[in-house]
Amino acid sequence: MPGWKSLFPVDLAEEGRLSRREFARFLAVVSAGFTVGIGLLWERKRPLAGAPAAAAPQGPRPDAVKICRVSDLAPGNSFLFTYRDDRDRCILIHTQQGEWRAYRQTCTHLGCAVRWDGRKLECPCHNGAFEVEQGFPVQGPPTRPLSRLALELDPDGWVRVTGDLPKPGTLQEGAPS
Amino acid sequence: MSAPGKSQLTGAAMAVILLIVLVQVYLFETVLGAVLDGQRRALPGAFFVSLALSAVALVLAFAVQGRNGRG
Repeated sequence: MPGWKSLFPVDLAEEGRLSRREFARFLAVVSAGFTVGIGLLWERKRPLAGAPAAAAPQGPRPDAVKICRVSDLAPGNSFLFTYRDDRDRCILIHTQQGEWRAYRQTCTHLGCAVRWDGRKLECPCHNGAFEVEQGFPVQGPPTRPLSRLALELDPDGWVRVTGDLPKPGTLQEGAPS
Repeated sequence: MSAPGKSQLTGAAMAVILLIVLVQVYLFETVLGAVLDGQRRALPGAFFVSLALSAVALVLAFAVQGRNGRG
């Protein structure tokens, strides 16, 4: 045996071997990483302090959030706002027919911000489009409708949004048609 | 007597840890999809479930001694 082998008794084949316990420890740390990720999501997506609670199921909605005055938005125009959270951007639309619609501004394809072109909501990233009545996709890669928010037009001339952000394709009760 | 951490993990413990990681992947993917859809009500529950699963995995991997054997 060469002299250096007695000084450095390292078996290279054993050195590169990963034991079952080491692999288990790696997996456990990966698992903890997922937990940290979910915790960060929870922290980042927590509703802002002072934000109203979820919608009341019946009767008047004291938690409704004023968005803009009816007179401030002419038919055919849109208005951007945030709701419940400063990262949840939404779009309010006053259609040419005089109807009001509000959607989450996040495209259901890959999350780009949709914009109102006067007739439909379009996503500039992949040329997707959604019709304004129900938010259904009519063009491009999106397959799910936009998240529609429930609206109230109060007697004081304000447009109010109520309830929580719905899942895409669902309509919250109380939305004016 | 082998040093702590040098005992071989049992197959059952290894299977449990693998299962936990699979559940964590599914949970994270589900939570991420929900957050992208604007839903956040499930976040606290998902976090605590994930925390419990991670605790089990960490205990199994770092604290539980298995059979004595190779690394």
